[in-house]
Amino acid sequence: MEKWYEKGVKVNRLTIFSINHPRVTIILAFLVTLIFATQFPKIKTDTDPKNMLPATSDVRVYNDQMEKTFALHKDVIVLGIVNEKGIFNSSTLEKIERITDEIFRLKGVVLQDVISFTTADNVIAENNNLTVKPLLTGIPQTPEEMEVFRKNLFENPIWVGRLISQNGKTTAIYVPLEPGANGKEIAEKIKEIVKKEKGEEKYYVAGDPVARDTFGAEMFKQMALFSPLAGMIMMVALFLMFGNIPLVFSILAVAMMSVVWSMGLLIGLGFPVHIMSSMIPVFLMAISTDSIHIFNEFYFRFNEIKDKKRAVMDTINSVGAPVRYTALATAVGFGVLAIGGIIPVRVFGLFVAFGTMVIRLMSFTFLPAVMMLIKEDKLLKTSQRDSLEKGASVWLGKLGRFATGRPKLLLSVGFIFLVLAIVGITQIRVNNNMVKWFKEKSEVREADKIMNANLGGTSLGYLVAHANSEEAMKEPENLKYLEAVQKDLGNVELVGKTTSLADLVKRINRVMNQDNPPYEKIPEDKKVIAQYLFMFGMAAKPSTLDNLVDYPYQQANLMVQLKTWDAQAMQKVIDRVADYQKSHPNGNLKFKPAGIAYFNLVWNNEVLFDMVKMFGLALVLVFLILSFNFRSFKWGLVSYFPLIFTILLIYGVIGFIGKDFDMPISVLSTLSLGMAVDFAIHFVKRFKQRLAEENDLQKALIWTVERPGKGILRNAFLFSLAFSVMIFASLTPYITVGIFIAFLMTVSAFLTLIYLPAFIILFQKFLMPQKETT
Amino acid sequence: MQNLKKLLIVISSISVVPSLIFAQKTLSPSEVASQYQKAFYYSGKDMKALVYMQLIESGGKERVRELTMLRKNTENSEEQKYFIYFHQPADVEGMTFMVYKYPQKDDDRWLFMPALDLVKRIAANDRRSSFVGSDFTYEDVSGRDLAEDNFSIEKEEKIGGKDCYVLKSAPKNPKSADYSYKLSWIDKVTFLPLKEEYYDIRGELYKLFIAEEVKDVSGFPTVTKRKMVNVKSQHQTLVTFKDIQYNLGIDKELFTERYLKRPPSKWIK
Repeated sequence: MEKWYEKGVKVNRLTIFSINHPRVTIILAFLVTLIFATQFPKIKTDTDPKNMLPATSDVRVYNDQMEKTFALHKDVIVLGIVNEKGIFNSSTLEKIERITDEIFRLKGVVLQDVISFTTADNVIAENNNLTVKPLLTGIPQTPEEMEVFRKNLFENPIWVGRLISQNGKTTAIYVPLEPGANGKEIAEKIKEIVKKEKGEEKYYVAGDPVARDTFGAEMFKQMALFSPLAGMIMMVALFLMFGNIPLVFSILAVAMMSVVWSMGLLIGLGFPVHIMSSMIPVFLMAISTDSIHIFNEFYFRFNEIKDKKRAVMDTINSVGAPVRYTALATAVGFGVLAIGGIIPVRVFGLFVAFGTMVIRLMSFTFLPAVMMLIKEDKLLKTSQRDSLEKGASVWLGKLGRFATGRPKLLLSVGFIFLVLAIVGITQIRVNNNMVKWFKEKSEVREADKIMNANLGGTSLGYLVAHANSEEAMKEPENLKYLEAVQKDLGNVELVGKTTSLADLVKRINRVMNQDNPPYEKIPEDKKVIAQYLFMFGMAAKPSTLDNLVDYPYQQANLMVQLKTWDAQAMQKVIDRVADYQKSHPNGNLKFKPAGIAYFNLVWNNEVLFDMVKMFGLALVLVFLILSFNFRSFKWGLVSYFPLIFTILLIYGVIGFIGKDFDMPISVLSTLSLGMAVDFAIHFVKRFKQRLAEENDLQKALIWTVERPGKGILRNAFLFSLAFSVMIFASLTPYITVGIFIAFLMTVSAFLTLIYLPAFIILFQKFLMPQKETT
Repeated sequence: MQNLKKLLIVISSISVVPSLIFAQKTLSPSEVASQYQKAFYYSGKDMKALVYMQLIESGGKERVRELTMLRKNTENSEEQKYFIYFHQPADVEGMTFMVYKYPQKDDDRWLFMPALDLVKRIAANDRRSSFVGSDFTYEDVSGRDLAEDNFSIEKEEKIGGKDCYVLKSAPKNPKSADYSYKLSWIDKVTFLPLKEEYYDIRGELYKLFIAEEVKDVSGFPTVTKRKMVNVKSQHQTLVTFKDIQYNLGIDKELFTERYLKRPPSKWIK
């Protein structure tokens, strides 16, 4: 029997096996990994944010129902065409005609409902005839004909702001997509079509499906680029820290294995890889760096006792408990997401928790096995530098002495920061904007900006007016109410344009009355309105009417174009209508929001608040784990402080710099919890171990700052460095992740190393009443 | 009476059969097209029917149009005149619509709106536009000039036990039609289309016509129930023809602006 066993040290049997059979262990680990890896070819991806909510959720059911009722399309690509000299020239119009015809040929396009000059219906009075025909039928050849075209276009309020900008320089082609068509692919084909056109026109491709599917495609590219890049940087940094290649590789191997196991399982179980689950690898890489603590301690131990097997055993014995508990805390922090209401969030939480458990397993099997295989002489050379008299440990010692020496000063400074953080948090703006997930100068954002500057707005919301009875939408008073609501909505900033049945009826009334402008109003007689609409339906494309009113004339669709994808803009519209209804009661009509702008609002809010709710729950659970871990609520409370302080500081900063509290940020909250708690656990556990050996409180604290503190700093540094490369990502959520993690790790490491000693000194009587004060 | 009718049908079919057996081998695609047009759009000298249309959206909600349709052919010409009186929807009751159809040029159309007591001429630039909001276009309702299409016979096939030519019509000028080609299953006996498939510019099926019921009316085989389905949007239109009469001797006078406002009740009931 070995010495350590006789000493009664508790080491897991699995670990003993790994130490005794290192090669078998390593081979086994790789084999299991291989099995999980075989699932990868089955990968399915799903980048549609719609699937954040189940198809049976109220908002999706209602949206689907309204799309059916009004013959609307979920996904519409908008091709903007700009000619700075104006689009009213035959050359530009010919291009529009040609491009529209080409778009018809694209697979996945609903060609019957493409809206362009050549397809959009216009009602005009021509030689006392009533004509319903597309805006552009044949290219105007003479200046007179061009003028007629221009006049007809600008006189139709339905199309101004949709098909023509006020200044006459911008037009658009609206391209609805069949369900399941890929927005990015069709956008690329449209770009190819316009590329063939020569001339001074500029073309912009915008719309929700483009942003969504471009993001989806880009997301995987970024993940494929930055995960390995972060891994490589970590590798170099690890090599510089430990100077031993097998060690470096083994830390990375643990990260990779946990990624392969959890992603393999996820794919194997048939879950699609979603925006959320695509972040699992990054998160697991972050969490896996916890194994540094094992190496950190191993180096110290080996340097002290020069016996490899013994050093491994001692290391596992002393670091084992904190590693177990940090893994548990992290797993619980993520696992708690599994009881939330949002399926992709649940999947994300569960598989990160699973990956965390894999990391823990590897820490007690794979890592000891690797340590056993490293040649002793090499180890001796590189571990020499890890004694307390060298490197970072020296100034960490100083930091420890300062923290234990001036606890009150530190507390006051901390208090000031805490107050500032809370002030910052009150400034936080909850919002989400998918277009802003792209960088300022990106094509998607540029196109969206131009379109919103010139036309009514690329983000589309619906306000569906429901009446109590059929035929109600032919009543003059209801149409007038719609008109009034539209007028009132015009006061909402960022509402670019509204369209309803009222606009169409007014337009027909005018045309029927010799195109006389004063007749651009709702007629007083219901029968007249009914016959106008019937007449219009006798000649126009059915969809023009269907988009605005349902079959029984009981529901009318008020379309609201917004000049921003900010989810909150739709909230403003909804609030405004509610206010208007209060001040101008109308018993007949109830308004219900729908459309993509509304959907974005709902899913953002749901995901975000679900996250925040679960985060709150995780905070409580982590506190309980800490208390249980230290067998004391008091210690739980103290070790909780750096964690809470870090989180408050980060959100305070977010509030101050005016960054929107959006979906990516809310996801990161859970990470911050899982990570920040690690440092506190390591610190307190190791400190208590040390205190049992050495009776001087201050000395024990300084030792903890120097030695496990170095592990904490190494961990934080490695992390920050690796993730800071994400600053160069092309999608802003990844940049946010990079900055956030780097900031989080640095702050929480320092807060742990400074405030835990200060607190322990300050509250020693409270924490350790049985001990004599020093 | 019923038996007599049946007998008449049998006799009339028998009388056509021999000519068909002979015709089968000699009919060219454009002859089939021409026979089809005659049987489907030009039966009799004139016609009257009560037409019941159901427009059904993908969600199952319905709009109804009920109308009396009068048609008169012009002798020795392909020109036709249509007079339509709307009974339903209720709030357009009394609306009338008149079309002069000219194969080689745009139709003339007039509409009378009783709520305004006003006749308005409606310019018709596009025969491809929907007929009263249904899945049928004006062209589907009144036919298309034969000279505009190229015809070929793709194959011969049985539908519901009936031998059919499968006629392919492709517009000579692609911009003159919504379809890039159309396949029609034409009954070799009656020359009525039993099924038609419309293919768009990408070669995808987008519209489907089905003759659900064919009856003999006064010796004229007539499609009395038909359906047009937009397979892309799942919108569909069901049409039933009732009280069909041929060769009533409808007055030319009826097809004038004057009668649009005050149609004689015997023609519209």
